[in-house]
Order: sequence, then structure tokens, then C-alpha cells
Amino acid sequence: MTLLTFIGMIVIPLVSSPLVYLSGRLGMHETTLHRRSYLVRGLALLAILLAWIPFVLSVQTFLTGGTQEFNIEAIWLRVDGISLLTAAMILTLGTLVILFSGPYMAGEVGEEKYYAMLLAMIGLMIGLACAGDLFNLWVWFEGMAISSYLLVAFYREQAASLEAGMKYLVQSATGSVMVLMGIALVLANAGTLDMPGIREAVSGSDVNRLALLGAGALFIIGFGVKVAIVPLHTWLPDAHSQAPSGISAMLSGVVIEVGLIAMLRALSVLPGFSLSWGVLFMAFGALNMLYGNLLALRQTVVKRMLAYSSLSHIGYILLGLGIALYSGMELGAQGAFFHLFNHMLMKGLAFLSVGALIYGLFLQNDSHASLKITDLAGTAQKYPLVALALSIAVLGLGGLPPLAGFMSKWQIFVAGFQTQNTWIIALMVFMALNSVLSLAYYAPLVNMMYRKSPSAQVLAGKQLSLAIVLPLAVMMFAVIILGFAPQLMDWVTVPAAQILITMFGQ
Amino acid sequence: MNFTPLNIILIGIAGLLGVGFYGLLITRNLIKVVMMLQILIKAVVLALVFAGKLSGNLGLGQSAAATVIVADTIVAVVGLALAVQVRRRFGTLDVPKISTLKG
Amino acid sequence: MAGNLILLIIGIPWLGALVVWSIGDKHEKAQHTLAVIFSLLSGIASLFLLAFVDSRFALNFELAPAFGNLTFVPDGLAVTLTVIATVIGSLAVLFSVDYMRGEAQLGRYYFMVLFFIGAMAGLVLSGNLLFTFFFWEITALCSYGLISFYNDDPKAVAGGIKALIITQVGGVGLLAGTLIAYANLGSFQISDVLANASTIPAAALSFMAFSFLIAAAAKSAQFPFHTWLPDAMEAPTPISALIHAATMVNAGIYLLARFYPAFESVPNWKTAVILVGVISALLTAFMALTATDLKRALAYSTVSQLGYMVYAIGAGGVLASQFHLLSHAVFKALLFLTAGSVIHAVGTRDMRRMGALSTKMPFARNVFIIGALALMGLPIFNGFWSKELILEVGLEHSPLWAYILMLIGAGLTAFYTFRMTWMVFFGTQREELHVHETGIAMKVSLALLSIGTFTTWLFFGGLNELLTASMPFHAIEEESTLEIVKAISFAPATWIALLVIALGLTLFFTLRRKAALSESPRWLNTLTESSFGFESVNHFVVNTVSKFAESLRATQTGQLNWNILGIIGALFVVLAMLLWGGA
Repeated sequence: MTLLTFIGMIVIPLVSSPLVYLSGRLGMHETTLHRRSYLVRGLALLAILLAWIPFVLSVQTFLTGGTQEFNIEAIWLRVDGISLLTAAMILTLGTLVILFSGPYMAGEVGEEKYYAMLLAMIGLMIGLACAGDLFNLWVWFEGMAISSYLLVAFYREQAASLEAGMKYLVQSATGSVMVLMGIALVLANAGTLDMPGIREAVSGSDVNRLALLGAGALFIIGFGVKVAIVPLHTWLPDAHSQAPSGISAMLSGVVIEVGLIAMLRALSVLPGFSLSWGVLFMAFGALNMLYGNLLALRQTVVKRMLAYSSLSHIGYILLGLGIALYSGMELGAQGAFFHLFNHMLMKGLAFLSVGALIYGLFLQNDSHASLKITDLAGTAQKYPLVALALSIAVLGLGGLPPLAGFMSKWQIFVAGFQTQNTWIIALMVFMALNSVLSLAYYAPLVNMMYRKSPSAQVLAGKQLSLAIVLPLAVMMFAVIILGFAPQLMDWVTVPAAQILITMFGQ
Repeated sequence: MNFTPLNIILIGIAGLLGVGFYGLLITRNLIKVVMMLQILIKAVVLALVFAGKLSGNLGLGQSAAATVIVADTIVAVVGLALAVQVRRRFGTLDVPKISTLKG
Repeated sequence: MAGNLILLIIGIPWLGALVVWSIGDKHEKAQHTLAVIFSLLSGIASLFLLAFVDSRFALNFELAPAFGNLTFVPDGLAVTLTVIATVIGSLAVLFSVDYMRGEAQLGRYYFMVLFFIGAMAGLVLSGNLLFTFFFWEITALCSYGLISFYNDDPKAVAGGIKALIITQVGGVGLLAGTLIAYANLGSFQISDVLANASTIPAAALSFMAFSFLIAAAAKSAQFPFHTWLPDAMEAPTPISALIHAATMVNAGIYLLARFYPAFESVPNWKTAVILVGVISALLTAFMALTATDLKRALAYSTVSQLGYMVYAIGAGGVLASQFHLLSHAVFKALLFLTAGSVIHAVGTRDMRRMGALSTKMPFARNVFIIGALALMGLPIFNGFWSKELILEVGLEHSPLWAYILMLIGAGLTAFYTFRMTWMVFFGTQREELHVHETGIAMKVSLALLSIGTFTTWLFFGGLNELLTASMPFHAIEEESTLEIVKAISFAPATWIALLVIALGLTLFFTLRRKAALSESPRWLNTLTESSFGFESVNHFVVNTVSKFAESLRATQTGQLNWNILGIIGALFVVLAMLLWGGA
């Protein structure tokens, strides 16, 4: 693989971002407003579809040639299982969200900014997934954060959306400061910032282990803000519920997961502490799933409930990774990565279907109200496909077969029991009980949609266009297929798990 | 403790971090919140340069510091832009007054 | 051949589910017809499978390592239950043609019924524990969807959630047991687990055995999880007959029977199983004594009869439990469906408002009485033979106190069954109810089931042969129908039991007026209405969790300063943990 084929998946979205913006700003006549909207949407969609070509080429070369590394001056990039998994997630959800946003964002003030920022965020996230040195990891991370602040606070006229954006920005920036302090600590001790170099430099005996441990803590907390580890999660429910639905899907489906990837990459340069990271991951995992589930239980606003459920899913993923780091069990990491992917599909689907309902019930009636659970009553009659999509998404999140979420949780369970460690087994039972608890808020949601007497909002609802419904159908299909054939994702989850174990091994 | 240049820098970093975090914990004004973030960033910039110096790779530390300055200027700009919008919408910059989302 | 049949048995209903659902609720007639056709085809396929009973894998698909190979084993136990699921399933679907006529959202109804039938067959045929769990969860999902089918009714919604959560808690037991076995043996295949159970460390095996007992108790609505089944009666009646009497609730019994050889030697396990069975059978028999809702009374009696099967397994009578399972599936489906036609006709489930329906609904009366006699355990109905067999096994292999309690249970069964029949069909007419005629589809399925109630005991020899031939780990004695008939007819246990049943009946007739008006003693009413206090345990758990969840919301202050404090505080906690763990 040459650098040129691979770099396209980062460069194409990044370059097209300003192009999309400019094309939206050119020719400011009122009469062409409608046409410009189509131009912007079309260009954005074209850009993301083009980005698939280098991705597919990279996958092909990866499958035959294994992990690749490149450097442009001081910027190190690597293509391994983890970066390909992340890129696959980002491109899948990114494409569908851009398609979905077409009608959803049509006519909004600053539509071109939305697509420009979204494309930039996609490019930066893929870059982050491929980052091979610590400082560039932070640069990609910060770039992604900045573009996401703007997207969260996109509805500038909405007070709540400004509030959410503000909190997100301040907390995220605080986390970013901690990451930088960690980087400074590593630099002071290792004298270099490319990952293999650091690993080599700090594996000697004369190294200040206390400083490295401190750097690790700073990485966990700093990136942890983005990952929404409890108690750093406080920005998440606000941001997820106030952002435009496409962005909620991106935030919950990939942004917090990419934060987790960044955390793993950063921690992997500090060899010899895998046990500690493993224990911390498992502890935070248990806390996250319990807290997320309990808080989701009493929510009345659908998007806020889904936001809290993201906390609990991050908990499951952390638990899987913790098992892998603690016991070197590759299967734990494989399950966690599989769940990462499935969570992207299921939570993306959930947010997009809620978005479709918001679009049909509120946006088209010029309202920015938030969708309450009681508003869902009777949606199945008017929007059968959307109701089915949302049902499948939440039942999958609850871990019911034959849906994708069941299979990935199962892999985590198997790994946990295979350690034969009493504490880990107890944690697994705790996780299973948490899954049951989560059904207590997912199932009523489904029930509400299949009621016979529709709510007033549903009665006044408008029709949905194909571009809104098509992404839902695609993701729904994927969630069911992966529930029957979990091995379809092995091509990337297995190498990703292997690379994780190698990164942390030694 | 002697006041060697190294220690002075260390104290400076710790002081800036302390001021920044303390400020974030108590301040209610949005502009001041953005200022506190900037103070924290100054601590980071100092720390990066210092780390480069300590490890003998001064160039790396300095280039990192320069990049951080650029990136965080953008964050400050976005933060201030949000503050402007908040002032327009709410007529106040008092953070607790604009906090309605909870639970 | 067997492999293809299995694929048909699971695949046809699942395909049918998609077809019926996708043709849309506007074509009601087509939906009814297609649902009947698909379920009948699956039933026929499963009858053919009877000829291919075998203990080896009929199908073996390779999957990723964490899932094991997907295998299906058509052994005697599995095929018997498959036949029950698909045949009674198709009768219930046939019944639905009349019962559900004109209902809204029929597509959703038939989708879940057909999806359930396929999943139930998959559950028992699967040779891989992961897929047993997979299908187990699907049946729970369908059961939930169908209980809450009338989801504008808050009672239906609450009953659905309750059933879902309780059976899922049991599912955690199945999951944990399965994974303990996998961690120790490296295989999900049931045959491997049964063959190598002795190599699992004692503690792990014991953990597995009791986890499975929890799973089985939750799924089969046994003590202490018996509270969900009565509330599940909000489902349409064909569903109560199919899922909550004849099939899904048997999954727990199936699990215990399947793994009996592995767990037999686990200390205290058999006693625990007997205890669960006895307590369930007795508690719910008392509850059935005072119930005034026809379907709830039948639900209590289902739990009670399932208790007999659990008890039989605890006493080592796997064959007896499966025999009673077969009889019970047939006569309880008959009772439920008849109750359904009565409820459909008069428009209420309250037995106090019925009475003297015997002249208005002679057909329903006749078949209900057939079912009732089988439930009481009177000769020559199928319930008689299987219940006597259980009691005989119990007398020989279980503690005497357990046997005596089960005998008392038999007497109570006679009492409440007669009370039920009396309140619905005889006595004085208490309210002027407008009665519709029973539909033809209903009549056909009721007639077939009542023929079954007379005859299924004749299959004892066949069932025995299937089990002995294909279950190498279960030491089951070979006996023919004739032998068992002779044995039961001359066993003292039979005559004792008949005496107790007669006592129960005498008691009913002396207390007839009071019992039929449901004027039971107040203390008994209070106890049974609260499910002997277990309802308050449920309430306590639910209330505590939701109160805690509500108060936890205060931690999301929404104040920026507090949020920052969370971040900084967490940094210090993590640092402290890392230092404490040793740098």
C-alpha cells in the first residue's frame, strides 16, 4: 500500500470541507437558495462516497499485507486493525448521517456550515484513528473536538442548545489540558513522542515509574471526558439531547468511541501497567453501566434517555477491554470492539429514527420541542418503518437476540467467564443483570409506539422523505444480519484485538 | 527547596494549574471561564517547553507548544463566540442562570 | 433428512411470520389463512421428524470460536417438545382465526406467534447451549410482545414488563451456567457437557446446577418467581393457551430434564428441586381456590401442575415429568381455549358474573368438562395416568413429607377445578350475559384437543421408546403402555390418590354454595391475593430501584462548576487508586 491510496480517507473529507462551505456561500441570491441547498448536500455526499474508495483499497492491502506505517516529516500514521475498525465505523455512520441530514437540515440557517463541519469532523476522526505519535494524536483529537462544539451548538437560536455547547466546550477543554499535561510528562521522560519510540525509551529500568503512572491517570481522565466515563460524563446528556439528531447519532455512535480509541493508543505507550489499566477499566465499566441505566430509567425525553443509555454501553465496552488488559484475553477485546461497532449501528439507528420522528412531528411543523416518550404513542400506524427501526434499535441495545447487540455482549461474557476469576465472573453477572435492568426502559418505549390511540403530535405529523427512511432501513438490516452472522465482522475485530494485546503486551 | 530555574518553572506550572482549576471551580461568569481555560493552556505550554528541555529534545517541545497555542486560540475563539450568543439569547453571562438542563 | 426437517420446522414459521406481517393489516383474511397454513406445515414437518429420532447431530454449522458450532440434535426429548410446540401451536393459530377476527394489528400478532413457534422448536432442538439461550430469549421477547399486545391497556403493559424482567433475570442464570460450563470444558455442546460433567470442579458444577434451577424456575413460573404468570393472562387467550400453558413455560422443565444426569450428584440439588416443585404446587393451588378471574384461576393451576413436573424431576422421574408435560400441554391448552371461547362469547373474565352457561354453550361445556376431569386426574383421561406416575415415583424416591404434600395438592386440584367448572357452567345464573355462538375454527381446534385429552396417554410406550433410544445419559427404564397401565392400576399409590381426589370433591360439594360464590375465608383471600407476600417483594424491589434512580438524578446538577469538580475529583481518585495499587 502506498501512502497515496491510504491518505485519501483523511484528506478527501478534510479538503472537501471548505469546498462545500464555499459552494454554499457563493451566489447569495434568494432565488437560488433552494438550488444551493441541493448543491451543498450533493457535494457532501459525493465527498464521503469518494472517501470509501481509499478505505476499501486500504482494507484490501491490510488483509494481505498487515499493519502499515507511514511518516510525513514528523507526522506518523499507522493502518492497523484498530484504525480500520474505527474508519469503518466513521465512514458508515458518516455516510448515512449525511444522507439523513439532507431533508432534516434543509432550509436551516448555515446549512453549508453544518456539512463543512461534519466532513471536517469525519476526516479528523479518521486521522485520529490512524495517529502514530502522541502529540499528533492530541492535534487530531482537539480538531475533532472543535468541530463537534460547533455542531452541538448548531441551533444558535435555541437557548438549550447554546447551554449544552457551552458546557461541552468547557469540560472538553479541561480534559484536553489534562491530556497535554500527560503528554508533557511522557515527553520529559522519554524524549520522543512517536509511539514505538516512547515504548522503547521508557521500558528501561531507570525510568520514573511514578511520572508515567501520573501520565496514565491524566490520559484516562483527559480522554475520559470525551468517552463519558462517570463522573466525567456530565456534558453528554445535554449535548446529545440538544444537538441536531444526525449529530446526536455521530456523537453517540462514533465520537465517544473515538475518544476511547485515543485513550487506548495513549495508554499503550506506557508499558508494564496493563494490570492497573485493566482494573481501572473494569471499575469504571461497572460504575458506568449501573449509573447510565439507573439514570435512563426515569427520563421522559427520548433523546436524553438514549444519551444515558450510551453511558451504560460505554460501560460494557470498558468492561470487555478491561478483561483483555487485565488477563490478556484477546476475546475480551474482540467482544469490546465488536460491541463498539454494534453500538455505533444500534445507537446510530436509534438516534436517527428518533430524528426522523422529530422531523415528522416537530420540525416540519416549525417546532423545536423535544420528543417526549408519551409523544411516541401510536407512531407505528403512521410511520411503521420508523417505529420498527426504533424498536429494533432499542431491543438490540437491550441485548435481545436475534440482534447484533446480543452477539457482542455474548463475546464479552464468554471472555469474562473464561478468566475463571471469581471477581470478574461476579462482574459479568452484574453486567447481565444490568442488561435486564435496561429492558425496563427500552421495552416501554417499544410499547408506546405500538399503541392504538395516537398522540396529538402524531396526528399532526407530516410525511417523511426517502432520504430519511433509507438510512434507517440500511442500519436495521445490518443490525439483524449481524445478529445472525456475528462472524461477518471478524475480519476487522480479530486483528484489532490482536493489535491491542500486542500494544499493551511486553 | 532552592530556587533553581528548573524549580521556578515547576512552581510556575503548578501555580498556573492551581489558579486555572480553582477558577473553573468557583467562577460563575462565562468570560472568566474562558479566561481560566486560557490560564490552564499557558501552564501546558510552559510544561511542554520545559519537558522538551528536560529530555534534551527542545525542538519537539517547542513545536508542540506552538501547535497548542494555535489550536487553543481556536477553542478560545469558539468559546467567546458562544459567550456572545449566550449574552444575546439570555441577556446574562452568569453560568448558573443559563443552566436549565439537568437530571 | 432430519437436518432438512429441522430447518423446515424452524424456517417455515419464521418465513410465515415475515410473510404474514409484510402483506399488511388490510388483508385480514389472507393473514388468517396464511398463518394457519404456515403453522400447519411446520406441525406436519415435526410429525415427520418423529421418524428420525437420533442422539447425534442432525445439523452442524461452523461459527466463530466464541459461539461454538451451531448444532441441532433431534433426540426424543427434543422431538416430543417440538411436536407439542408446533401441533398445539397450529391449533392455537386455528383458534385465533375466530378469536382474533376483526382485531387491529393482526400482522404484529401473527408475526410474534409464528416467530415464537419457530423459536420454541429451536430452543429444544438446539444442541448448543448458546443457541438454547438465544432461542430462550426470543421466546421471552415474543411472550412479552404478546402479553402486551393490547398495549393501550396499562394492565397488559405492566404484565408484559413484569414477565419480561422476571424471565430475563432467570435468563441470567442460564447464561451464567452455560458460560461456567464453557469456561471449564471449552464447549457449548450439550452432549459434551453431559458426557464430561464429572470433570467440572465441584464448586463450578454446583454453581451451574443452581443457576440452571433459577433459570428454570423463572421461565416455568415456579416459586419464588411464580408471580408473573397470572399477570401474563392479559394476553389474548390463544396466547395464554399456547405460550403460557402448553409450551414456553415448559422450557424450564425441559432444561431441568435435559441436565438431570449432570446435576444428579450435586449435593442438595435434588432436594432443592423437590422443594421448589412442592412449594409452587401447593401455594398456587391455594391461590386457584380463591381466584375469581377464569384465566387467572387456570394460570394458577398451570403453575401448580408445572410444580408437579419439577417435583418429579427432583425425585428422579424424568420420564414421568415429560409424560405429564405432554398430558398437561394438551388438556391445559384445551381448558384455556375453551375458556377463551367462553370469554369471547360473554365478554367478561369474571367467573362471578358467569354461571349456568351450560345450556347456552353446550359444546364449550362438554369440552371444558373433559379438560377439567383430566386436570383433576380422573381415569381414563391423560392427566390421570401421568399424575399417578408422578405420585408413584414420588412415593418411591422422594421424602415422605413431600409426597404427602403433593397428595394434598391433588385434592386441592380436584376442589378448585370443580369450583371453576361449577361457577362457569352450573349453579344459578347471576347476570344476564349476551352469548355469541362458538365459531367453527374454534370448534375444530377444541374438538381435536379433547380427542387428544382422551388418547395421548396411549403414546406412553412410544414416548418411552424415543427417550430410551436416543438419550444415552438418562438411565430410563423401558416400559410399554400396557405395562405402565397395569402397574398404575394396581399400585396402592393410585388408590390413595384417587381417595384424596374424592375427598376434595366431597369437600367441594359440602361447601358448594359458599365456594361457588367465592366466599372463601378472609385470611385465605388476603394471603392469595398478595401471592403469599411475594407480590410485595416485587413491589419492594421495583419501588426501591425507581426511587434510587430518581434520587440519583440529583447528581446530574447541570451546573458547570460541579461538572468540573467531577473531572478534577475523578483525577485525584484515579491517582490515589493507582498509587495504592502500587506504582
